[in-house]
Amino acid sequence: MAVRLEIGWQPELADAEGEGVCRQAREYFGLAIDSVRVLKLLMLDLDLTPEELARIRTEVFTHPITQVSSLQPLARDFDGAIWVGYRPGVRDNAGATACEAIAACLDRPLPPEAAVYTSNLFLFKGRRLTTKQLTQVARELLANDLIQEFRVYSPKQWDPEEGVGLILPRVELAHQPTVSVFSIDSLETLRELSRQRHLALRDADLPIIRDYFSRPQVLSKRAALGLGPPTDVELEYLAQARSDHCNHNTFRGRFHYLDLASGQREVLDNPFKTCIEAPTREIAQGKPWVVSVLWDNAGVGQFDDAFSYVIKGETHNSPSNLEAYGGSLTGIVGVYRDPLGTGKGAKLIGGIYGFCVGPRDYAGPLQPRLHPRRLLDGVIQGVKDGGNKSGVPTLTGALYFDETYLGKCLVFVGALGLLPKEVQGEPGAAKKARPGDLLLMCGGRVGRDGIHGVTASSEVSSAGTPAGHVQIGDPYTQKKMHDFLLEARDLGLITFITDCGGGGLSSAVGESGQMAGGVEVWLEKVPLKYAGLDPWEIWISESQERMVVAVAPGNEAPFQDLARKHNVEATAIGRYTSSGMLQVSHQGRACAAIDLSLLEEEFPPWEFAAQWLPPERRLQEPVLGEVEDHQGALLALLDRPNLCAREWITRQYDHEVQGASVLKPLVGRNLPVPGDAVLVRPRLDSHRGLALSLALNPAYSAIDTYQMAAVTIDEAVRRLLAVGAPLDHIGGVDNFCWPNVEYHPEQNPDGKYKAAQLVRACWALRDLCRAYEIPLLSGKDSMYVDGLLPGAFGEMHRVSGLPTLFFTAVSVMGDLRRAVTLDWKNPGDRVYLLGETRPELGGSEFYEMLGYVGLSVPTVRVPEFLPYYRVLEQAIQEELLASCHGLYKGGLGVHLALASLAAGLGVEADLSRVAPASPAYAALYSESPGRFLLSVAPEQQGRLEKLFQGQPLHFLGQVRKDGQMQVARAGRTLMQPSLDQLQAAWQRRFGNLV
Amino acid sequence: MKTENRKQKTENPGPRPKALVLYGYGLNCDHETAFALHKAGAEAVRVHTTDLLENPSLLWDYHLLAVPGGFSWGDDHGAGVILALRLKLALGAALQEFIDSGRLIIGICNGFQVLVNLGVLPNLPGRAGERLTALIPNDCGNFRDAWVRLKVLPSQCVFTQGLEFLELPIRHGEGKFFAPGPVLAELADRGQIVLKYATPSGKPALGRFPHNPNGALLDIAGICDPTGRVLGLMPHPEAHIAATQHPSWTLEKEEWRRRGEPYPEKDGAGMAFFNNAVSYLQGSPSPDRV
Repeated sequence: MAVRLEIGWQPELADAEGEGVCRQAREYFGLAIDSVRVLKLLMLDLDLTPEELARIRTEVFTHPITQVSSLQPLARDFDGAIWVGYRPGVRDNAGATACEAIAACLDRPLPPEAAVYTSNLFLFKGRRLTTKQLTQVARELLANDLIQEFRVYSPKQWDPEEGVGLILPRVELAHQPTVSVFSIDSLETLRELSRQRHLALRDADLPIIRDYFSRPQVLSKRAALGLGPPTDVELEYLAQARSDHCNHNTFRGRFHYLDLASGQREVLDNPFKTCIEAPTREIAQGKPWVVSVLWDNAGVGQFDDAFSYVIKGETHNSPSNLEAYGGSLTGIVGVYRDPLGTGKGAKLIGGIYGFCVGPRDYAGPLQPRLHPRRLLDGVIQGVKDGGNKSGVPTLTGALYFDETYLGKCLVFVGALGLLPKEVQGEPGAAKKARPGDLLLMCGGRVGRDGIHGVTASSEVSSAGTPAGHVQIGDPYTQKKMHDFLLEARDLGLITFITDCGGGGLSSAVGESGQMAGGVEVWLEKVPLKYAGLDPWEIWISESQERMVVAVAPGNEAPFQDLARKHNVEATAIGRYTSSGMLQVSHQGRACAAIDLSLLEEEFPPWEFAAQWLPPERRLQEPVLGEVEDHQGALLALLDRPNLCAREWITRQYDHEVQGASVLKPLVGRNLPVPGDAVLVRPRLDSHRGLALSLALNPAYSAIDTYQMAAVTIDEAVRRLLAVGAPLDHIGGVDNFCWPNVEYHPEQNPDGKYKAAQLVRACWALRDLCRAYEIPLLSGKDSMYVDGLLPGAFGEMHRVSGLPTLFFTAVSVMGDLRRAVTLDWKNPGDRVYLLGETRPELGGSEFYEMLGYVGLSVPTVRVPEFLPYYRVLEQAIQEELLASCHGLYKGGLGVHLALASLAAGLGVEADLSRVAPASPAYAALYSESPGRFLLSVAPEQQGRLEKLFQGQPLHFLGQVRKDGQMQVARAGRTLMQPSLDQLQAAWQRRFGNLV
Repeated sequence: MKTENRKQKTENPGPRPKALVLYGYGLNCDHETAFALHKAGAEAVRVHTTDLLENPSLLWDYHLLAVPGGFSWGDDHGAGVILALRLKLALGAALQEFIDSGRLIIGICNGFQVLVNLGVLPNLPGRAGERLTALIPNDCGNFRDAWVRLKVLPSQCVFTQGLEFLELPIRHGEGKFFAPGPVLAELADRGQIVLKYATPSGKPALGRFPHNPNGALLDIAGICDPTGRVLGLMPHPEAHIAATQHPSWTLEKEEWRRRGEPYPEKDGAGMAFFNNAVSYLQGSPSPDRV
């Protein structure tokens, strides 16, 4: 019989979680709440004797000196209560570990139907709290109705005997699994089928699918297997495989570009091939360190003689937009499976993140599903639990606010892995399933969750989007699987491995079957979370924490033994063949048989019209006189949401686990500020380092996406150079997040312009990668950054996100002891600016603060930059520099302040020779790329100036002993703020968040 | 008792004492903890928790047990609770015998949480094995990664001999040391409080955030058992075994350079914990005779 166990802190102890909720509720809603305490409720849905119950209560679930627990309601003396629990079928990680703990404590296995459901009861004190207010707290802070249910109680409604009662969110699918078949008599039937089943098939694909299923040889082969018209398993498979998410149809599309000003026309056929694959192949020719690119789950570069590094970037925007915590958690845990599924499996050594959301204090009329503040809190927390509980350091990240992300947020997640060069005498980066190998599914079980995630993320989010693809990741299960698979790898038990991500088994099995030359799958063998799933659901479910592994039949026993030791479920669910077919059966009956060559057939490319209107025709430079209060302007800039301190996020993430941290995300003895790049030491017994940087600059997209992409790539490169990583070893990862580029006269009237923006960004990617010789090790595109939001009067608005490129760059440092940081080191050190400052304020933070976009977008000039980038490398090799810092968003003024704050030392800088023909504000806040701020010991001044002879190196001044930042120009002091003033401005906005 | 059929206790640890570093089930600092012990001169072996639970007599092959940081069983029902329960059921009294025989145990972060839930800490006389202390959620309400300054108190503790002040990172969500007043008093009286959070200038943190990062009572960051051979601490000594792990090592390097000296390959301050343990094990002819 099920019982409810309630657990709380001893009354005299503080309740940190409750206090956190209290803070949030006050901040979010301005409510007068005195205190909040939280009770943990466990609904134990299993049979226990009274003795057993007493035992698990005292030994497992109640700490004798800090907690109280009871089978009776513990709640009393409150002014309002909210109960929050999961809906049926939502992953309950704490419930699962509770079952493990109970089994261990009682030393007996629990029956398969036993379950523990965890939930929270929040008890509020505050005399004037109304049920309406509590309902708002429940709805907009504590519970997300997609995955959770809540109940609100006033003291009057509360039954002190029953409490919340017994709430058991069992999944009960009274359903006999069936396979449906569909005769496709016409294209219209197929189109209608696609619409009804959310298959998102394109019109142009329909004839190819229909034709395939009417070929005589196909028909006879199918008849021999007992198959007639296509089944739901087959159609769902094709829909997954053809989705934009899996197949990147946009990036493989054909763009007809027209410059409306000049009349110039150009066709960009297959941007992926032209702008990513081709340059990368060319560049890789001259870079022997490029090990494996463009085919596996992640890219591979050489680290040293014995190891390679593996890198991957992903975005998880649509799910995070619906359920922020679950979406970002699933995103980070999911991207970790990419290196794990690369080559024969890489160990995870780092994670990164990038969040783009609406303003945290947004108070405008649009009503996104989740307010940006709640959304941001949720995505931060998801990456925290996903990264920390995986034992993978979250190395660095970025946060960018803009109102256009109200439509859909961006959640970028990236992963670094380490892969042995050789595994049992075979190349670690190679993998291939062989006919005869068993196909095993490892890790989590399959449920109805995550169905149609892929096709849903290929659509614009709206009220009708199926919410079933929202999931909760389970880092604990995955960490066990990670440890297990690496040991299996080292024993030589793995011939092929890939992750089960978007598209679930259909995608992982389909792709690996293509490599092997055939595959058969027995769906009834797939372990399920609960009975009643149809075969097509098992086939495409995106239930998390799963990998697909090919194992030689003779190795199955040792593989299973190892799995048992690691407490990981591994099940043989199929076999690789040489039939050329993908064959799926359920209970011995065929339910799919498709020639693997079908997907390689000539599906027509997607076609896009792209029309570019140059910025001169859309925008102009503002008419702006010189600033009088320079100090006020700098302090205001430091307080801008996109420039100010966000230490509260960084500190929630364990960036040091594994002991490899050399340059941390925050740098500086006095006041840690964001460093240029992070540096890790993947092998603790070596001095080689791996440097990693991340850049994004969506603001410039409003002017020209070509320069947006170019500046972003240049920034990622400079970030690496600034810490001392070599240019020749830089590899890149491109993650595009774009609004829908398909023109529609009513739904997307500027679709052609957005398509042209994409074309121009792809051109920049191609040009910059060629110029800096950066192979693109990995990348991904996410194409539907749009949302439909109700406004003040219930009218719907389409909100499209700024075209955004996340660019991640990685490089290998031969000796990490030569690394340089941005903080001044000593009073009297000489300070220099390297690189030219031009009046390039278009899209700058300074213009944005004043309400302008402007026209003068920062422009990358590689032929000018590269020569002194080389000299800078040499200066760092010679250990000449005391500090080095790239200049990014905010410009010279902001970054002089940050280098000073980090060191706790002031600076005096004369900007007379910086952009001398422009106003002082241009010298201070222009965002010209290609620039660095350097400092050297006075005795090194001569050497430095000699080394940079002929290069744009400008002496600015020196580091001061005191805490004054003095900036002068043409004999006049522009400002002299103290470090205390700078720090106060920089930390004001988010300084009280923890 | 599953450990009864145990092997002969190791007579001579030899030049390289053996250290068992637990891993699996969500623990995650096992590699670097093993590396630190290895660097200190121990023969460190990562042993999967399942292997130890199924074959508890393995324990007797080792002279030091390290329970490293991580999130064992996801830490969903109190950090370290489930691993402690599993170890208690499988090892029973063997752990106490392990300690009594002169061997060492260190629990770091999640490992500390495990040791207090096992009751091998604080192991007060007359109340051996009881759960008398707890590590509860940080007062700041969140997980926190930050470097802290620690004051080392004079004690019996094998691991901290010769240390006075040092800097280490903390990385936890549940690290607030809690015990009832009388237990705190007894810990202080018996010299079992080993590490306390301090201000950058070395003064007591007095509970102030961020010097005391979690609200720990009496600023306690680590305690030992009455023998001094069992240490539990929230900060991570294994994360400061090389100078370049320190957040401002580039500043220190620049200072060396200005003196005209090459930047030396110094160990980080956390190495002392592991060096002390290994010297202790090497110095005692047989841990059984301690």
